[in-house]
Amino acid sequence: MVNPRWQHLQACSVIGAAHRRQQKPCQDASLSVELKGRGGSLQLLVVADGHGGSRYRLSHRGSALACQVSQEAVEQWLSSTPLTEPERWRQLLEQELPAAIHQRWLAAITADWALRPGAEHEPFSPLLYGSTLGLVLLAPQWWGCTGIGDWDLSAIDQQGQAALLSEEREHSGSEATGSLCQTFVQQLWRERTQLHPLEPHTDLQALVLSTDGVRKSCATDADYLQLCAALLDVRDRQELEQGLAHITQAGSGDDVSLAIAHRASKPKRSSVLPRGWRWLLLLLAASGVGLAAWLVTRQETPLQAEARQLCANPEQIQATLNQRRAQFKALLNQPQLASQLQQLASTDPLGALIAASQSGPIPGCTALNAELNRQWQRARATAVPAKGKMPAAAPPAAAPRNP
Amino acid sequence: MPFPNVRLSNRPLHFIYLCDCSGSMAAQGKMQALNQAIRQSLPGMAEVARENPEARVLVRAVRFADQAAWHLAEPTPVQQLQWRDLEAGGITAMGDALNLVADALQSPPMEERALPPVLVLISDGQPTDDFDAGLANLMRRPWAQKAVRLAIAMGHDADLEVLQQFIGPEPSGRGKSPRRPLQASNATTLAQYIQWASTAVVGAASMPASRVAAADAGTAANSPANIPLPDLPPTLLDPSDDVGPLVW
Repeated sequence: MVNPRWQHLQACSVIGAAHRRQQKPCQDASLSVELKGRGGSLQLLVVADGHGGSRYRLSHRGSALACQVSQEAVEQWLSSTPLTEPERWRQLLEQELPAAIHQRWLAAITADWALRPGAEHEPFSPLLYGSTLGLVLLAPQWWGCTGIGDWDLSAIDQQGQAALLSEEREHSGSEATGSLCQTFVQQLWRERTQLHPLEPHTDLQALVLSTDGVRKSCATDADYLQLCAALLDVRDRQELEQGLAHITQAGSGDDVSLAIAHRASKPKRSSVLPRGWRWLLLLLAASGVGLAAWLVTRQETPLQAEARQLCANPEQIQATLNQRRAQFKALLNQPQLASQLQQLASTDPLGALIAASQSGPIPGCTALNAELNRQWQRARATAVPAKGKMPAAAPPAAAPRNP
Repeated sequence: MPFPNVRLSNRPLHFIYLCDCSGSMAAQGKMQALNQAIRQSLPGMAEVARENPEARVLVRAVRFADQAAWHLAEPTPVQQLQWRDLEAGGITAMGDALNLVADALQSPPMEERALPPVLVLISDGQPTDDFDAGLANLMRRPWAQKAVRLAIAMGHDADLEVLQQFIGPEPSGRGKSPRRPLQASNATTLAQYIQWASTAVVGAASMPASRVAAADAGTAANSPANIPLPDLPPTLLDPSDDVGPLVW
C-alpha cells in the first residue's frame, strides 16, 4: 500500500496588530517549499520569529535569513542522504543539521551586517538579529522536526482532533526563549528534535507549525488546538492571511506565522460496498457534513457560538466565568456597559454573553444559565453598598506629567 | 477566515499594589500622599491601557498593617477603577501581604495566558512579621518569578534591604536603577514614581518583545527580569537634593 502524499503546503507570516500600530516591520518569517533529492522529494516547512525590541533591532532580517539558510542546509544534506534512511535523518536532525544551520546563519547575518551603511562604526553582535527557528521535514516515509525557541508544532488526526507535539517547555508562558543568536548548544536543538515513521495507516491528517504569537492569541491551549484543527478548512493563502490578521488583531498583537502540511486522505482498507456506491455515500456524507457546518457557522452569532462552546465543556464554565467577576460587578454598577459589551460581541463574545444574561436566561444549556445566575447572585451579594461620599478622582489635568 | 469556535483573547496584565498601612504612614502626610499619588496615576494608566488593546490591565491592591488584607480584591479594569483611600494604623505585616499575593498568583485563579504581572511594594518601615517566609512563598509561584517587581521606599526609615530582596538581585555598579528600591522622600517624588510604574512600566509590560532566554551576551546579565524596564523618571535620588515641600 502506498503512503499518502504530503500536499497543500502553505506558510504565511502576518505583521502583528501592535507592530503595525507602532510602524515596526514584521519580525516573523516563514517558508514552505518542495526540495528534490535522492530517493524522492522532501517538503520543508519553516517558521522563524525575530525577537523584536531595541536590542534585537535587525531581527526581521535574522528571521528571514534563518528561513533561507535552513532551506540551503537541508538541500545540502538532501543531495547526499537518501530519504530511505530515516535513522540517518534522525541523526542529522539532532546533530549535523542544527550545527550547519547555526553556522550558516551566523555567516549570513555577518554578511548582512557588513552591507549596512555605517556598520564599521558600531560593534557587530548576533543579538541584533536574534530569532527563533522551527522546521519540519516531510518525507514520503517519515516526518521530522527540529529547531530552537518558542515555536509550536501540532498534529491533526484523521478525526480532526489536534494535539500538541512539540513546545519549548523551559520558558513556557514567559517572554524568554531560546534563540539562534545564543552560543550554539546542541542540547537545545535535540530537545526539539523528533522523527516519526509514516505508514499508510498512520493516524495523521496534517501538521501545523506556528510561532508563539498564534498560541498566545488563544484564550487557552484548548482554543489553540481547536484553531489548529480549524486550519484544515483553509482553502488558500489569502484565507490563511486573513485568518492570521484576525488572530493577531483579536489576540496577542504579536506577529503571527503558520505553516501547514496536509496528508492526503487515508484510503479505506476494505469495504463490502461496490466502488460506485462508496462514492455516492461519500458524497451524501460530505454534503450532510457541509450543510451542518454551514448551518452552525453561518447562522450563529458570536454570542451563540460562545454559549455553544461553553456548554460543550460544562466543567470549565465556572472557571471561565470566575475570571470575569469584575465584569459582573461593573455591569451592576454601570448598566450602560451592557450595550457597549453587546456591540463588541465579535471581539469579546464572553463579555457580550454576560451582558445579555443580565436580562434573563440566554439560549444555551442549563449548566451555563445556572452558573450565570450564581455569578450574578455573588456579584450582588459582594457589591459594596455606598457608604457616604467616595473620594473624587483627581481630574486628569491635576495629574503630574509623565516625565 | 473566521474561527467561530476559537476564543481569541488579549492577555490580562495584573497590576498589584502592596501598600504599607502601618501607623507610621499616618505621620507627615505619607498616607495621604500615597492615596493621592495612586489616584492621580489612574488616568495615565488608563490611557496606556487604551493604547495597548492587546493587554487587559487589571488592578488590585493589598494593604498591610497588623495583618494583610485585600483593599481591592477583584482584578478591576483600570478604566473602571475608583480608588478608595487607604488608612494607616498598626504594625507592618509585610510577609503576610506577600502570602496573599502568592495565593492570587496561583493558577487558577491566574489565567492560563497572561502577561507578566507587575507588583509594586510601597513601604516606609521594616517588616514586623516573617518577611522571609512570605517572600519564599511568593517566589515559589511561577507568575511571581515572571513578574516585574518594583519597590518604593517612603522616607529614610524604610528597610531598603528587604525591599531589595523583594525586587531580586541588586544590579552591579552604582547609580539609579529600577532594580533598586526607589527612594521617595516627599510627595512629589512619590507621585512621580507611582506615575512611572503605572504608565511606563505598564506600557513595557503590555507589549513585551520576546527576548533571549539565558546567558546571552552583554547587558542581559544586568537585566534578569522578564520585561526590560523603561528608564526611571528624572527624579533626584539624593534626598538632600530633593526640592519637595516636606521631606519624610
